[in-house]
Amino acid sequence: MSLLVAERLSYRVRDRVLVQDVSLRVEAGEVLALLGPNGAGKTTLLRLLAGEARPSAGRIELLGRAIEEYKALELAFVRAVLTQRREINFPFSAYEVAFLGRVPHMQQRPEKPLDHARTEWALEQARALLFAPRTYLSLSGGEQSRVDLARVLAQEPRLLLLDEPTNHLDPKHQVEVLTLCRRLVQEGWGVVVVLHDLNLAALFADRLLLLHHGRSIAEGTPAEVLRPERLEAVYELPFTLTQHPSGCPWVLPLVRSTCPLANPRDLAT
Amino acid sequence: MNVQYPSRFSRYRRVLIALTAVLPASLLLAAGVGAYFISPLEIPRILWEKADQAYAVLVSIRFPRVVLAAGVGALLALSGAVLQGLFRNPLADPGLIGVTSGAGLGAAIFIVLLPGSGALQVFALPIMAFVGGLLTTILVWQLASSGGRVQILTLLLAGIALNAAAGALIGLLISQATDEQLRSLTFWTLGGFSGATWTTLLAMVPTSLVALWGLMRLAHPLNALVLGEREAFHLGVQLEPFKRQAVALSALAVGTAVAAAGGVGFIGLVAPHLFRLLAGPDHRYLLVGATLLGASLSVLADLVARTVVAPAELPVGVVTSLLGAPFFIWLLLRYKREVLW
Amino acid sequence: MAIGLGLAQPFTVKDARGQTVTVRSVERIVSLNGVTTEILFALGMGNNVVGRDTSSYYPAAVNKLPTVGYQFQLNAEGILALRPTLVLGREDARPPQIFDQLASAGVTVVRVPDKPSIEGAKEKIRTIAAAVGQVERGEALVRALERDLLVLRSKQRQASVSKTLKGLFLYLRGTQTTFVCGEGSNPVGMMELAGILNAAKGIRNCQQMTAEAVVAASPDVIVLFTKGLESVGGLEGLLKLPGVMQTPAGRAGRVVAIDDLYLGGFGPRTGRAALDLFVGAYERQGLYIANP
Repeated sequence: MSLLVAERLSYRVRDRVLVQDVSLRVEAGEVLALLGPNGAGKTTLLRLLAGEARPSAGRIELLGRAIEEYKALELAFVRAVLTQRREINFPFSAYEVAFLGRVPHMQQRPEKPLDHARTEWALEQARALLFAPRTYLSLSGGEQSRVDLARVLAQEPRLLLLDEPTNHLDPKHQVEVLTLCRRLVQEGWGVVVVLHDLNLAALFADRLLLLHHGRSIAEGTPAEVLRPERLEAVYELPFTLTQHPSGCPWVLPLVRSTCPLANPRDLAT
Repeated sequence: MNVQYPSRFSRYRRVLIALTAVLPASLLLAAGVGAYFISPLEIPRILWEKADQAYAVLVSIRFPRVVLAAGVGALLALSGAVLQGLFRNPLADPGLIGVTSGAGLGAAIFIVLLPGSGALQVFALPIMAFVGGLLTTILVWQLASSGGRVQILTLLLAGIALNAAAGALIGLLISQATDEQLRSLTFWTLGGFSGATWTTLLAMVPTSLVALWGLMRLAHPLNALVLGEREAFHLGVQLEPFKRQAVALSALAVGTAVAAAGGVGFIGLVAPHLFRLLAGPDHRYLLVGATLLGASLSVLADLVARTVVAPAELPVGVVTSLLGAPFFIWLLLRYKREVLW
Repeated sequence: MAIGLGLAQPFTVKDARGQTVTVRSVERIVSLNGVTTEILFALGMGNNVVGRDTSSYYPAAVNKLPTVGYQFQLNAEGILALRPTLVLGREDARPPQIFDQLASAGVTVVRVPDKPSIEGAKEKIRTIAAAVGQVERGEALVRALERDLLVLRSKQRQASVSKTLKGLFLYLRGTQTTFVCGEGSNPVGMMELAGILNAAKGIRNCQQMTAEAVVAASPDVIVLFTKGLESVGGLEGLLKLPGVMQTPAGRAGRVVAIDDLYLGGFGPRTGRAALDLFVGAYERQGLYIANP
């Protein structure tokens, strides 16, 4: 049974169509990356998959059951969502914020040492254990992102939906987060992650879904999806394809460089 | 396992335990001290023997007053804590949902338009205030609803709008009031516990219990809401029923408190903050702690109000403001130092 | 004889609600109202009064007594702390539960009637006198009041007033709290007693003062309590209030200020107060102050 199946999803708000006829499938043990330019509908799609909004057309099934049939609390045990921006106005410590991931569990039974054990595990996986005692509001953007990641991990769902988790992170931490995703899927989790960086997606995701104007342009392995002519059509920028040392595809945008040592002959217009 | 984290939560537990000792201590202190001098050591004997006037003073006048102060403090503090969590704003207080100004309007309508005899006033005025408070909150909710859902921001705006409307109507009534009616209204607004009787307390019990029990159960959703509405949903909270419960139960709590004691300010704002500074913002502890703290503060404020210029007394609202204002400034300075840097 | 009766016999009195109350002891009396205190002292019971409210300040001896607070903001314990055997107060004392609370502590409570008229004043004096067992002295006060009124009438006849003056009563508590009093209010009752016409037509009791109301009333003389005059800064301040300078009274500076309790109390001195008001309005020019 697939973790998540979405068929022919559409979503319109008044007269604007944000998602058009998108289908996808997520299995346990794999990372699916959602790619596309700004405004392509990635976040909207993620919200539909999270159950936040009802699609105007199409079906979503989680663990074989229609998503509408799930109560909010039941959903919390199946999927956890990492959003792009959080604002908190009270002096919660980083640990307490990560601990919030346990709320669904503690709604059903009183607090147990297990809840703290899972929270600490989550903080450690997200490399946030060191600053856990500090007040969340006093952390940098990157540190806060890691604490939020710990929160969704602590929730212990089957499926993670991550909206641009690498945004505020330096390269080292970006790699750490995505490596973490790979570790998790090896243990049977499923991950859907929205990324901007095409190459990171290629390195860490099993499959990619490329969106443009709300439509699914391509879906498949990185090698299948990342073709220069397709990318040019979507991003309106010329791309060239090379190879990462690991063997994964690596795409480069071709732009006029201002670097003084570059050889003007190798560049396109 | 890292030993730091249990210690953070044990701070919560320690503060709560301290508060469960502070409240009975405040109650005992307030029950033993008053304008009518009764030696605290004599109290057990007086109660046992039901001896003369001292017994009547204790049982018919002082005890109900102390219990009323505690009850009102608890109701205001708990609803203050819940609304601060609902609006995700430390400056939120129960007035935001319109219940306080609605109660004032109910009282003003009764005093100015329907003057009754002294005996009627005892029951009719609190009922009018209670009904006014609830109706106004219902109106605020309806105004903020669209398509069966309520946005918190819209709720805030609706509350502001209706507070302004109620204020305008009260102003209109004031301008038409005779000096006697004005005086009645002013003293009602100032608030106080001197009219406490066991009958008053009995009348308050049903709505207070429902409100206290219902509000306490909102700890987990309030925690989840800390990060935002979307995140609360992701953590399993059914948002619309939760918002409805929070607002309705707060209105019930505050409506009861204001009907019984007029407008007593500050406690709903200060008690949750004080607990956050002493222990922390986790609602699972905050809701209980703020309630205990609010009750204690109210009892102590009333004690000061009725002993400082005995045999006369200060309005309780004046005491809470006089103590509350500098306290709030201190809270603010500590908040700035510890949280935002 | 009076003292013997005071200790030995319980007194019965019909209170403001028409109910009969039995008073067993008048040893320690607390009065919750200014005129009530005045009457108690006039009846010779001053030594028995152990506590008063803040509106009680006449006669001067009263000011030495401890105060239990404002009559509309009382608390039972404070009153009981003085160990009273009898408490006298108006029906509209606040909080409304106060009388029941006092009764539950075994204290006798008498609600004193408070109708704003000469008959009301007599009723008040008689009720209080009956409650404290001084019926004879109470009657003496009533007779004195009636004599004062006769003096007032004869003075009014003698003075052969050419034109009846129109008076406007202003109730002031600072420049931001200003009221005009009309029909049904105590002060207007007093003005009518003194032969002054009420200039504030169409106003019932006391309502907030507006410049238009003052100018429309066009009074020949302005009447107020002395505390009110002080609260706006004397004659100068009064004349600065909106509308006042546009009235005949304002232009001529014809103002009569009389002590609050004296003029507004409807008690034993009412006859004399009305006389003072008459004299101040008809026989004097400019500002006339009566502060007995």
